[in-house]
Amino acid sequence: MDVSDVISISKPSIARTNVIDSDVEMSDTETNGAEQTSIVTPGELVTDDPVWMKGHGTYFLNDNIYSSVAGNVSRVNRLLSVIPLRGKYQPETGDHVVGRITEVGNKRWKVDIGAKQDAILMLGSVNLPGGVLRRKSESDELQMRNFLKEGDLLNAEVQSVFSNGSASLHTRSLKYGKLRNGIFLTVPSRLVVKSKNHTHKLSGDVSVILGINGFIWLSKTSTSNFTNNESNIAGNRVQSAIDGQGSYNPGVGSVSITRLEEESSWEIYSDKNEFIPTTVRDTITRYYNVIRALSYGELGITDQRITMGYQASLQYANVGKLVDKDAMEQICDDVITNEKMRGNL
Amino acid sequence: MLLSPAERQYLYDSLVQNPPIRPDARNVFQCRPLEATTTFLPSSNGSARLRMTDGAECIVSVKSKVVKTADTPNLLEVDVDVQGYRDDSNFVATLKYNLSSLLHKNFPFEALKLTSRYSYKLFIDCIVMSNTSYPLTIISMAIYLALKTTKLPKLVSEVDDVNVEEQPTFSDDWEDAKTLGEATGSDFQPPVFITLGVIGSSLLFDPSLEEEQVLENGLIVSFYDGKAQTPLQNINLALNSNKNNYKGLKSTHIVSAISMVNKYCGMIIHALDTLIDQDEGDGQVF
Amino acid sequence: MPRLELYSPEGLRVDGRRWNELRRFECKINTHPNSSDGSSYVEQGNSKIICMVQGPMEPKLRSQMDVNKANIEVSISIAHFSTFHRKKRSKNEKRIVELKTAIENTFENSIISHLYPRTFIQINIQVLAQDGGLLAGMANAATLALIDAGIAMYDYVSCVSAGLYDQYPLLDLNTLEENDMSYLTIGVIGKSEKLALLMLENKMPLDKLEPVLGLAIAGGHRVRELMDEEVRSHGKHRSQRQ
Repeated sequence: MDVSDVISISKPSIARTNVIDSDVEMSDTETNGAEQTSIVTPGELVTDDPVWMKGHGTYFLNDNIYSSVAGNVSRVNRLLSVIPLRGKYQPETGDHVVGRITEVGNKRWKVDIGAKQDAILMLGSVNLPGGVLRRKSESDELQMRNFLKEGDLLNAEVQSVFSNGSASLHTRSLKYGKLRNGIFLTVPSRLVVKSKNHTHKLSGDVSVILGINGFIWLSKTSTSNFTNNESNIAGNRVQSAIDGQGSYNPGVGSVSITRLEEESSWEIYSDKNEFIPTTVRDTITRYYNVIRALSYGELGITDQRITMGYQASLQYANVGKLVDKDAMEQICDDVITNEKMRGNL
Repeated sequence: MLLSPAERQYLYDSLVQNPPIRPDARNVFQCRPLEATTTFLPSSNGSARLRMTDGAECIVSVKSKVVKTADTPNLLEVDVDVQGYRDDSNFVATLKYNLSSLLHKNFPFEALKLTSRYSYKLFIDCIVMSNTSYPLTIISMAIYLALKTTKLPKLVSEVDDVNVEEQPTFSDDWEDAKTLGEATGSDFQPPVFITLGVIGSSLLFDPSLEEEQVLENGLIVSFYDGKAQTPLQNINLALNSNKNNYKGLKSTHIVSAISMVNKYCGMIIHALDTLIDQDEGDGQVF
Repeated sequence: MPRLELYSPEGLRVDGRRWNELRRFECKINTHPNSSDGSSYVEQGNSKIICMVQGPMEPKLRSQMDVNKANIEVSISIAHFSTFHRKKRSKNEKRIVELKTAIENTFENSIISHLYPRTFIQINIQVLAQDGGLLAGMANAATLALIDAGIAMYDYVSCVSAGLYDQYPLLDLNTLEENDMSYLTIGVIGKSEKLALLMLENKMPLDKLEPVLGLAIAGGHRVRELMDEEVRSHGKHRSQRQ
C-alpha cells in the first residue's frame, strides 16, 4: 500500500514558469495565430479609426475605441470587440445549454445556466403532457412544480437573448427536457467548443451533453424513446408512447387529447432513474474524471477529446488514481500528442 | 447545494453499492488531492495554506505570546473565520469548539513551558477562504502543517525563576529558534481530524460536497499518537439540505471507522510530513 | 526614547528608500480559479492581500437588485494575525466599514456597471498581513480581481499612499511612517491624472498638497505599469493554452 493511494499533497505548481519554453514552441506551430496573442488591457486605446463600430468589451470616448477588459481583439466585418480571457458564459440564441431550476414563478421558471443572470423558461416554451400542440391551461400553471421544480436539471436551447443580456430558453423538442440517469459536473464555459451537436454517444453505453455554458451531463445512454441526434418529434412521440404504456404517474389532471398520449408524456418529467448497471456507473466515473482532467489542463472539450482521454486513461486500472494532478497532466499530454500525430498523418 | 431527485437517486444508488462507486471513483479510504505551502507569514511563528482541487481553501497562522502560567488557564486558543459566515453562527462555533477540544485533549503542553513562571501561549487563527464540503478536515490538516512548522524563540535567561523575579529574555538569532518537536525532544505530530461519510454499510473518507448530500450520517474522528482518539462524534455533514436519507448510526460503523482511521491516517500524516520536508520555505503564498 | 528618524539628512528613510521610491510591489492574477470568478494577490511592501470576486451573478435577495446597473458590494476581512501584535477585529469596526465604503464608491464608478443590470458583484478582500498602505493595497487587489473576472472597467484604478514629513513628500508609507505623519491615499485612473479615490484623514497644509499629490500620482502610474505587466503576462500565457 502506497501513501499516494490515500492522499496526495503537493506544492502548488507555478504555472507561469513554463511560459518561456512553451513560448518558443508555440511560435513555431501557430504562425496564423499572431493576432490571437495580442492582448489588450482595460483603458487601452484599440483604435481611433472611425470605420469600426464598438462591440462587447470596448467603450467609446472622444472618437476613440478603448478596451474595457483584458483579452484578445476580435474584428468581424466592421465590429470591433474584445473577448475577455475569462468571464461568465454569455448566452446566444441557439446555444444548447444545461441548467438548474432556481425558482418557480408565475408561468415561468428561473434557470441557473452559469450566466450573469438566471435564464427564463416560460411555461409556454416547454412540452407538456398531452401533446405538443395543445393549449396551456390554468391547471398547468397550478401544477408547474409537478413538471419542473427547484433543483431539477434540464437541457434546453436558448430561444432568445434580451437586451440586458439575459436569456429565455425553450425545451420544445424531445432532445431537450429534464435530465435523468446520470451525474452533473461543470467546467469553465470557454472550454466547451461550439459545434453542431452537443449531445454525444460515447462508448460503454454512456452519453454526454456538453452544454455550451460549461454545464455537463454524463448519463447512461437511454434505452427507451429517442435517438439523441435527431429531433424527429413525431417519431419520438410514437416511440415514447409505446414505451410508456402501462405506467401511471400522479399529477395528471389537465386536458388531454388521448389518455395514452398523456400518460406517456408524463414520463418526460419523471424523477425516476432507469436501472443502471454497475459497469455503466463505473464507466461514467471514468468519463467524469477524464473531463475533469481536460478541464484541469484547460483543453477545449469535445467528444473526440473525451474519447481520446478515455483511451489514455485506460493505462490507469484504478480510476480513482485519475484525481491526482500527475495523472490529469498525463492524460492531457497524451491527448495533445495523439492530436499532433493525427494532424501529421 | 440542491440536487435534483434524479441526481440524488443516482448518487445514492452508486454509493450504497459494495464497494461504493464514488462520483470520482475514489477508494473509500482515499482523500482528495491537496496543495499546500507553509511559512509564508513572516510575522507569525508558523503558517500554512491548504487548497483542495475543488477550490476549498484554508489559511492558518500560529502566533505566540509569553504569559504567566499561573494566570493563564488556556495555553492554546483557536479561532475560526469562515468567509460568508458570521462569527457567532452555529457553523463557525461548532468548528471552533471541535478544533479547540481536539487540540486541548491531544497536545504536548510541556513544550510550551519556558520557566517555572512563564509559558508560551499559542494563538491559532484559521481562515477558511472558500469552503465546499465540510471544512473540518482541511482546517485541521492546515493546523497540522502550521504547528509543525512553528518556531519559537530560544530562551536565554534562567529556567528556574521561582526565587528570582525576572522577565524571560530570548535569543535574537532566529536560527536558534526551535520547533515544537525540538522543544519536546520527540517527533511532534499534532492531532488531525478526518471526516467520514456513512452510507449503507460503507464509510467514505473525506466526502465531497455532492456525496454529503445523500449520506446517511457523518463521523468525525481524531487521530493522534498513531491511533484514533477522542473527540469522536457524529455530525450531519450536509448544510442547508433536507435530511432525506439521514439515519441513525450502528455501533459497527463506529468500530469500522476507528479501524479505518487506524489503518490509513498514518499515511495522511506521512504525506503531510513529506510536504514539510520538501517545502523549501521560499515564503511564497501562491 | 529618541524619536525615530523617518527621513535622514542624507535623504534615506527607515527602510533605506529614497523619498520617491515605491516599496516592493508584487502581484498575481487568477490565484483562485476554482473558487471565484476573478481573483488576485497583492504584496505591497510587507502587506499581503487576497481578493476574490464573485459575479456578475443573480442577486440572492431582491433588495440587492438594481434594474439599471450592477449592485457592487465589498466585504473586508482583516486577519487577527495581520499585525505584529495579534488583535481581534470585528467586521463591523468603524474603520473597516469606512474602508469598505471608500472601495465601494471607487469601483461603482470605475466598473461600467450599466452593462450588468439586475446583477450582483461581490468583492471579498482578505488582508493577511498589513504594514501600511492598507487601503491602496486593497483597491489594487480589487482592480486586478475585477479584470480577472472579465468585468468591464473604464480603466485601471492604481492606488498608492504618500505622506508629508516636515516639508518633504514621501511615497508609499509603511506603518512606522504612517503613524508619524499626515498622509493621503489616492487611486489614479489609468494613465491619466484623474483620481477615482482620494482619502486624507488628517491635516495637510494646502500649499503642500500639490507636491504630495503629484508624487502619489507618479507612484500610481508606476503601480499601474506593474499591474499591467502581470495582466499581460497572464493573458499571454492564457491565450496560448487552448
